[in-house]
Amino acid sequence: MKEVSNCILRAINLNKRFGGLSAVDNVSFGIDALGVTSIIGPNGAGKSTLFNLLSGSFLPDSGSVFINNQDISRLNPEARLAAGMARSFQITNLFFDLSVIENLQIASQALEPTSRLYLPSSRSELAIQRAEDLLREFELVGSRHLLAGSLSHGEQRRLEIAVTLATKPSLLLLDEPTQGMSQADTQETADLIMRLGANITVLLIEHDVDLVMNLSKKVIVMAQGCKLAEGAPDAVRSNPVVQAAYFGEEAI
Amino acid sequence: MLNPQVKAVKSVEYFLLASAVVLCVVGTVLNDSFFLRLASEALIFGGLAMSVDLLLGIVGLLSLGQALYFGFGAYLSALILKEIAPSFALAIVLVALASALVGFLISFIALRSKGVYFALITFGLAQVAAKVVYNTRSLGASDGMMGVPVLQIWTPFGLIDSAQPGVFFIITLLVIGSLYAAAKYFLTTPMGSLWYAIRSNEGRLAYVGYESKWPKQFAFVLAAIVASVSGALYPMLRGFVSPELMFFNVSGNAVVTVVLGGVGTLIGPIFGSVLLTSFKSIIGTWTQHHHIVIGLIFVVIVVSAPKGLTGLLAKYYSKRQENNGEEQ
Repeated sequence: MKEVSNCILRAINLNKRFGGLSAVDNVSFGIDALGVTSIIGPNGAGKSTLFNLLSGSFLPDSGSVFINNQDISRLNPEARLAAGMARSFQITNLFFDLSVIENLQIASQALEPTSRLYLPSSRSELAIQRAEDLLREFELVGSRHLLAGSLSHGEQRRLEIAVTLATKPSLLLLDEPTQGMSQADTQETADLIMRLGANITVLLIEHDVDLVMNLSKKVIVMAQGCKLAEGAPDAVRSNPVVQAAYFGEEAI
Repeated sequence: MLNPQVKAVKSVEYFLLASAVVLCVVGTVLNDSFFLRLASEALIFGGLAMSVDLLLGIVGLLSLGQALYFGFGAYLSALILKEIAPSFALAIVLVALASALVGFLISFIALRSKGVYFALITFGLAQVAAKVVYNTRSLGASDGMMGVPVLQIWTPFGLIDSAQPGVFFIITLLVIGSLYAAAKYFLTTPMGSLWYAIRSNEGRLAYVGYESKWPKQFAFVLAAIVASVSGALYPMLRGFVSPELMFFNVSGNAVVTVVLGGVGTLIGPIFGSVLLTSFKSIIGTWTQHHHIVIGLIFVVIVVSAPKGLTGLLAKYYSKRQENNGEEQ
């Protein structure tokens, strides 16, 4: 695959089977830099598996993933992070018995050269600064010394995004960031994602269709492992195939 | 205000240091050798327990075979002192280097597994090593090696004789203290943070940019060095080594010591070792069945203070801080 494209992220013919089930079936797409792109689809459509293939949690059976025209299909998650891709998790995945600030500092540490690993943490000024910035930006200053496991659900979801952003990725994969959030928190998170999209590329999995339609410049619809449609929110909304498969009878 | 956990660790550190000074002065004045030698032994096994805690309490890896490194250090030290030169520095440096290599090689086998499998593999490897030593005639087989010479140790104040119990106690204190300081130093580095992160949620580490393999290997090697250097002091104190040093008893006792003193505190295990060694000696003069009594004490402490004695102290400090907060 030598063709050069402007896409920051490109998936080409991705396949992943679990036994007899084709969880991701020949999915290809490309995402331009900046803005928010969303993947929607009913439960079991293969969204999370697709995310796992993109972020390196699973390796695809066949197909490739490119970031800035660099083939990362076989790289592990650590190497993909170095290439500028970071992901969050649908089920909150933090260092639960460490404090909020420790979570952020561990996550920021990869900004520092490896040799700093053996020097006192107080020398890692970049990482400390980054952790402090995120603490303020995500309004977690009051919870600084609390254990991540003792935070409220909403705060944990915020910390999850903060931890994911710590290494200053150019491509951010968010797996249902508003899952289980209250209405007010969801709106706040939507605003946050919007702001993030101004500076970096965001790929979002989300159940809340209204939220997605407002946020995204592009929507990818999946069903039963296949890509059903792709395009601007309005075009996708009025696509009859999508309406039948996803929105069902009560078309919007 | 100081974190209760940090405060508890500091208190235990001061308590141990003060006890050591008192013992040293009183022991020297009274010309005691029994208690000074007992205290040296407590510190040596405290070093072994600290190496268990480094893996268990910090990284979350339960090793049931740390006696492998302890015994390796003891045998290598005895061999160097007997066959090469009766030099303290040579024995310590060579044991540290050799144990780093051995720990590094074994880490490739042991760290392939996690959880209970890691515990079983470390247990199995130590048993194999113990049996090999037990059956090797050139290492003295089941008798071990006797006749480790008394050392002339170089100090800025001139050469001193390791057979003087007060002198050897201070040397033991310095060696174990240095190992403690080294291990504690790494806890203040990003490497130490990665260890805590592995204990907390190893799977997440890859998504913040780190492989867990090297931090685990680094901790494993460090623990091997701590255990081996502690073991290297043993023949200097006792004048002999025996294959029992590598048996499961020793590894198991070290884990018990860690649980008693406080998991994840590094100083707790040394405190635990001092207590256990004292109990054994005191209760041993009353009854032959001192293991039963110590077992009972262990059960009581685990039930009433699951985080060990250091944890109990931290809990007390935290309660007191809360009360003070309410009064103000």
